[in-house]
Amino acid sequence: MLQPLRETCRRLLQDGTVQVVIGYGQAVRAVEPYPVFITDPDDVGQLVWNEQCRTNLVKYLLRKEIRVLGKPAIVVKGCDERAIVVLEQESQIDRSQIVVIGVACDGMAEPRCEVCDAHQPRFADHTIGHATNVAQPAERRYAALCEFLEQPPSDRMAYWKAELERCVKCYACRQACPLCYCERCIVEKNRPTCLDTSATLKGNFAWHIVRAFHLASRCVGCDQCSRVCPEGIDLRLVNLSMARASEASFGHRSGTDPQAELVLGNYSQQDQEHFIR
Amino acid sequence: MARIGVLTCWCGENIARNVDVQSVAEQAAQLPGVRCSRVHKYMCSDPGQKLIRDTIAAERLDGVVIASCSPHMHLKTFRKAAEHASLNPYLVEMANIREHCSWVHPERSRATAKAVDLIRVAVAKVRHNRALEPIQVPVTRKVLVVGGGVAGIQAALDIADAGVPVVLVEREPSIGGKMAGLSETFPTLDCSQCILTPRMVEVAQHPNITLYTCSDVEQVEGYVGNFQVTIRKRARYIDIDKCTGCGQCWSVCPSKKTPSEFDYGLGARTAIYAPFPQAVPARPVIDRDACLRLTKGRCGVCVKKCQADAIRFEDQDELVREDIGAIIVATGYQLYEIGKPDDRGRIAGYGEYGYGRYPDVISSLQFERLVSASGPTGGEIRRPSDGTVPKTVVFLSCVGSRDNAKGLSYCSKICCMVNAKHTMLYKHKVHDGQAHVFYMDIRAGGKNYDEFVRRAIEQDGAHYHRGRVSKITQEDGRLIVRGVDTLAGEPLTIAADLVVLAAAMRPATGVEELAQKVNVSYDEFGFLCESHPKLRPVETNAAGVFVCGACQGPKDIPESVTQASAAAGKVLMMFSRDRLYREPEIAHVQESACAGCFSCRRGCPYHAIDPAEIRDRQGQLVRRVARVNPGLCMGCGTCVALCLSKSIDLEGFSEQQVYAMVESLR
Amino acid sequence: MTNAASPTPVGEFEPKIVAYVCNWCTYLGADLAGTNRLEYPANVRIIRLPCTGRIDFNLIVKAFEIGADAVLVSGCHPGDCHYTSGNYHARRRWILFRELLATLGIETERVHFAWISAAEGKKFQQVISEITSQTRDLGPYHAYREICEV
Repeated sequence: MLQPLRETCRRLLQDGTVQVVIGYGQAVRAVEPYPVFITDPDDVGQLVWNEQCRTNLVKYLLRKEIRVLGKPAIVVKGCDERAIVVLEQESQIDRSQIVVIGVACDGMAEPRCEVCDAHQPRFADHTIGHATNVAQPAERRYAALCEFLEQPPSDRMAYWKAELERCVKCYACRQACPLCYCERCIVEKNRPTCLDTSATLKGNFAWHIVRAFHLASRCVGCDQCSRVCPEGIDLRLVNLSMARASEASFGHRSGTDPQAELVLGNYSQQDQEHFIR
Repeated sequence: MARIGVLTCWCGENIARNVDVQSVAEQAAQLPGVRCSRVHKYMCSDPGQKLIRDTIAAERLDGVVIASCSPHMHLKTFRKAAEHASLNPYLVEMANIREHCSWVHPERSRATAKAVDLIRVAVAKVRHNRALEPIQVPVTRKVLVVGGGVAGIQAALDIADAGVPVVLVEREPSIGGKMAGLSETFPTLDCSQCILTPRMVEVAQHPNITLYTCSDVEQVEGYVGNFQVTIRKRARYIDIDKCTGCGQCWSVCPSKKTPSEFDYGLGARTAIYAPFPQAVPARPVIDRDACLRLTKGRCGVCVKKCQADAIRFEDQDELVREDIGAIIVATGYQLYEIGKPDDRGRIAGYGEYGYGRYPDVISSLQFERLVSASGPTGGEIRRPSDGTVPKTVVFLSCVGSRDNAKGLSYCSKICCMVNAKHTMLYKHKVHDGQAHVFYMDIRAGGKNYDEFVRRAIEQDGAHYHRGRVSKITQEDGRLIVRGVDTLAGEPLTIAADLVVLAAAMRPATGVEELAQKVNVSYDEFGFLCESHPKLRPVETNAAGVFVCGACQGPKDIPESVTQASAAAGKVLMMFSRDRLYREPEIAHVQESACAGCFSCRRGCPYHAIDPAEIRDRQGQLVRRVARVNPGLCMGCGTCVALCLSKSIDLEGFSEQQVYAMVESLR
Repeated sequence: MTNAASPTPVGEFEPKIVAYVCNWCTYLGADLAGTNRLEYPANVRIIRLPCTGRIDFNLIVKAFEIGADAVLVSGCHPGDCHYTSGNYHARRRWILFRELLATLGIETERVHFAWISAAEGKKFQQVISEITSQTRDLGPYHAYREICEV
């Protein structure tokens, strides 16, 4: 897998199709690969591909310091590329100005990989390898959430209080999220300050509600937010709840269909309203 | 803002009975930012309003809260009063302590406490109010009317008579629309052409009307008051200024076999033709698909015959641009094509009626041509197959209408009257003939309408059968109509010579494309959506775009004309001042913070948000952001809730105002 | 029906209810309740917004932060929106937001949604009375207040 990946990248750089390749490189001390930005075809040897390539690199497409390097090619897994689809739907990228190199992935030994149905990239310009793992049935996707929701609300609240108590408001979850691209995040807005920016329980709830809801029907479930949290706060459950609601109510799975209408900002007269008096 | 005045109203006993107004005023005086607190028995009265004005002046107030009734009742009154005292009217807010408090909470202590809270909320809001000026939009005083049927004609003439220039765009070679092809009209049986053609001539001769026939609306840019419309004038191959309409050309044209559109295929026409004798403009057009010269490069006898040298085979489509202030869409209807399944699969088709297979099964518009003096039979009712006079004619209602299983769910509204009219016209021409009508219900609401149907039944002896027809077959030159009479409870078979199907009314083809160009929404059937079904029946959600006639829903001539005049009235109202004044409580984008995701744009019900490009000094594109068109925004604030970074805000209900209101309830 | 505001015994829990309503339907519905003198508990504080489309999800959170025991969001019935589709956009938002609240363990029985038209003064009275008595039964929203205690 690695060889064809490096070859593809070398060719793209060599013939000038792209000026930079965003990929995984081997860290010196850490086990986990780190992102590399290769501009010289002779450096493609830095690229690695292994079962530690968990990070979703799509965020780097938006970074100004990467954008100035020129037209990028990016290495993505089948799960990561969903973020590219959403970014295009939300007018953040021009897909024709990006070369997507999809690498087939049989899982990165993360919980989400057990329920993955995107082993094989679907929208990539170049696809490397063939996944052997089969797509998991849809009902497994939200099993963790369903289990969580079996608890009474008070227990759920207690769980989140314990989790969010630890949040230090470093906003790593935001910085790592490929879909958090606002010029000025709402937490930085003043006059009025929309939400309490203190790292108190109140402020933390306010932030995490906003974060989760701003990703409602948008989150592609790459789990980058949870992965980068220095306090190990697991945000997957809230993300899953939004994903499940948008799939159940609107048949929408973010980033799986470039032609699909986005959920918010559109509506149907047939939307459910059993909860409205 | 720190010099806020709170003026609390007793409303006689209405507020004071359950609310301790004096105590409320004292507590209000303590609220942050409040400069003074006053009370009055009737704040809306002249002395009350004088108190407001005097207090504003004396205390140099920069914000006012009137605690009285509903803002729907008197906000305008009080804002005007403030304006008289030279305070910007948008610095006035109200606390509704009557409808929402004293009238519904009889317990005095609780009502008083709530009244203070409501004032607290209003004071918190008004501290963040900003002085606003009405938005002014310049207006081009020129109207585009799309569609030259009776509705478009009416609207165009009404507006042109008021002295405002009109551009009338008609797709066909002549104006007149469907009505020009009708024989006589219900409920008076007056001749359709006798009513319509003088109006058509008026259009042609009106100094304020520019008429484009054989033309389509190609593109619409801009917004209310300031549209730029591109019109495609399709090649007509005739110089209509030189042409005198003498008719020599079509009398010699050798290509004579094209089915006549005007006669719905019952007659034939030449390749160079005027659609009907009273066409406006009274000029021919060349059918490029039928003309031997244009298709095969041969012929050209018309050129030889034309004394005026008006034939232009080299004619090309032409694009014309017009600056327009308002648009009226009057594109009318077409009949559903009975035999075929509908393009979008909505209608399964009524193949069992044999329309298209049996020549003597015709549509109601075809029947109009058969009874029309200008029609292919010269007004004699002769059936298409063999030209004999039909002695038994069956009329079917609701072909495609009111049929959830295979047709359209709505009622086409005119067919009951059309059928009644047809039975009468038939009886008046074929005295020994018998008309039968199969109907579901007779819907004849309207002035003299039900009387008309009764006349068809009672005087002209039409046989009405309540029930539907399951199948029509052809046997020995007759049509066997098998149906059921549900009132008699038995099947009914009639051997007929002619069957007339009252097919459903549908919006004209292409209306959806046009709707998209002018940003008007349409329903699942393609009918254009009015802004409000009761209160804004001819307005649409695209400011400056109006609808009238059957493009908005099935309707008959009187209704279409009424609506057309209504639309004309609305346009003239809009044009009565040289600028449009719009409420300033609209959305604004803080472009430096906008990420350009355009979720606001997706959600805006008024298409008031467009992408704007931010460029640096070198002209390089930096990024795209959302921008609100103040000419279109109606101030609903849907965009604000959709904006993730809250880079868009709504004047009058800004984030700061709303959060301050909530916070004040802490 | 027991929705008339009977004098409240001293010391009984008085819930604080924040209602976000649209200007054109529910606000007018509340006006009509007033015009018809339809009594209801005085616990509700109405915040008028142009349209349910304007009602951001964060306002619901904000209401709990300032100590509300229940929140009502109300606007025009489907098809009746003054701005044609603001309420449809709002409905979509609520469908998703309720799920988030549920996942976080925020008591969704304290968040109420209603379509109340300008003609439904009676319905406004009923809804407010029901919400008030339900919230009275639920008691103060201690759980969220604890979150907000610094």
